[in-house]
Amino acid sequence: MIDLDKKKSKKKMSIDDLTQMFMDVINDQNLKLIEGIEFLIKEDFDNFKKNLEYVIETQTELEVKKAFEEKIFKSKLIFSKADRLKVFSKINDIKAIGEFLANKMLLYKVVFPDDDFKLQIELILKYLKQISIDLADAVKSIGSDLTRAHDICENIKEERRKMRNIEWQLLMRLWNYDMDYLSRTFLYLKELIEGIMMLADHMKKFAEYIQFLATKYFYFK
Amino acid sequence: MAFEYEFAAILIIVLIVLAFGLSFSIGANDETCAPLAAAGTLKFKIVLIIGGAAIAFGTIFFSEGVASLVGQKILGPGIKYTVFMLLAVLISAIIWLIIGSRAGIPLSSTHSLIGSIFGVVIVYAMFSGGIDPETAFNWEKLGGVVLSWFLSPLLGLVGTYLLYKIIDKLYLSKKKGLNEIEKSEKNFAWALVLAIIFAELWVGANSAEALGILYALYSNGDLTIIGYYFYVVICALLAFLGLFIAGRYVIKNLASQLTDARPSDGFIIQLSSAIILMFCTVIFSVPVSHSHVIVFCIIGMNMAKKKEVDYGKLGKMFIFWVLTFPMAAILAGLIYFGFISFGIV
Repeated sequence: MIDLDKKKSKKKMSIDDLTQMFMDVINDQNLKLIEGIEFLIKEDFDNFKKNLEYVIETQTELEVKKAFEEKIFKSKLIFSKADRLKVFSKINDIKAIGEFLANKMLLYKVVFPDDDFKLQIELILKYLKQISIDLADAVKSIGSDLTRAHDICENIKEERRKMRNIEWQLLMRLWNYDMDYLSRTFLYLKELIEGIMMLADHMKKFAEYIQFLATKYFYFK
Repeated sequence: MAFEYEFAAILIIVLIVLAFGLSFSIGANDETCAPLAAAGTLKFKIVLIIGGAAIAFGTIFFSEGVASLVGQKILGPGIKYTVFMLLAVLISAIIWLIIGSRAGIPLSSTHSLIGSIFGVVIVYAMFSGGIDPETAFNWEKLGGVVLSWFLSPLLGLVGTYLLYKIIDKLYLSKKKGLNEIEKSEKNFAWALVLAIIFAELWVGANSAEALGILYALYSNGDLTIIGYYFYVVICALLAFLGLFIAGRYVIKNLASQLTDARPSDGFIIQLSSAIILMFCTVIFSVPVSHSHVIVFCIIGMNMAKKKEVDYGKLGKMFIFWVLTFPMAAILAGLIYFGFISFGIV
């Protein structure tokens, strides 16, 4: 968990520090969300609920967001200002998607159809976790090493490709179960897969945007 | 006799007013400050004041060489401008610039002015002055001016290319992250202030259109030396006001499109163009087109960065550039021939 109090005065922090802190907070919430879904797989509904409520109710990022907005609009770095702002808003979108997914997942307590399905869900969650950690790393590298940020984003895209393959297998499996297609279990599992993929898609697009920034600001030899 | 004298005096006043108008338009059309406004280092008003003051300073203290070339030295021995010749030159130059603006091509006012002078002087020599057209010009000076029009943009391209490569190799390429890049660009934004002042100084000094006319009036005895310098100061103030009052819209518009541009790019482009303008003004005293030099500096920068260059657009521009001199000459010649035909001269 990120201890925001460690940083006494956010006003004294640079735009880059605030962006990194914001990314850490959102990454922390992503990991909680992923862990929550893992609890769901294990049918540990109490912890599942606790984690997802943490994602929905935690508002620590708002303080960072406010400090960032105060700083960015006063910044004289016009040539990169818009891009800095966009990076921040893309991080903010991750929170919005995560919160949306958490709210949706709390609507029902599902029991997974079989172990293979559970294993594959765990696998895409593993990739999602890695993407989230990598993305946080890439965002932190924007300020210090654009080549590194670019390379990390390449990995994210690769991980996202692997997730896509598992997504098809999961959907195939889901549609071939002998169950009512209007049942809550079917609809919930479909929404779960799509929700996870939506989050992964957004992070992949964000990674592509970081690559765009890297090529814009750094001339690769 | 008294009527002729009054008429000539009125024409001189008209020429001086047109020279004032040209000075104002030099400031009004000058977009040199745009990268500085885009960088956001200084307040917009301060940018305008700095730019305008530098133009005015350059006009007052460094313009005489170019003005004397346009207003006297370009002509052959025994030939002097008359007020009607100067009037035809100005009318033609203005018409050709309006045509250029309508076509959306950034034409050079310098090229159109020299072209107009060429046309008028040739017609004068053939039909009115009784002078052999071959001796109507100081061909060495005129040749130097025309040669500088080709060389200055090329030097701008090569200079910017090399300057960028050197700065990139020694400094820019060592900046790996956005924080470092931003920090170095912050420093470049301040260096850009100096580069813009330097560039504006030579823009003012090399903008010979108005001062060439005034020098011509001085050289044929219509103005005294004190009168000439008095009007130079007025022209300098008008260039300042032109930039401050009307130029702000051009600068604001261009600056809004340059917010993503790096101050280091602006610094390199402006420094290269300023050095070329300085050499042309101080060493060779030739009027060159600032816009042509800048366009080629930008091309040099794009080539150094391996960015795409729009050769189609450039080709269209080049055709207009080449056409400016002969077209302005023909137009001015026809206007002056009209003056002769109607017995005005």
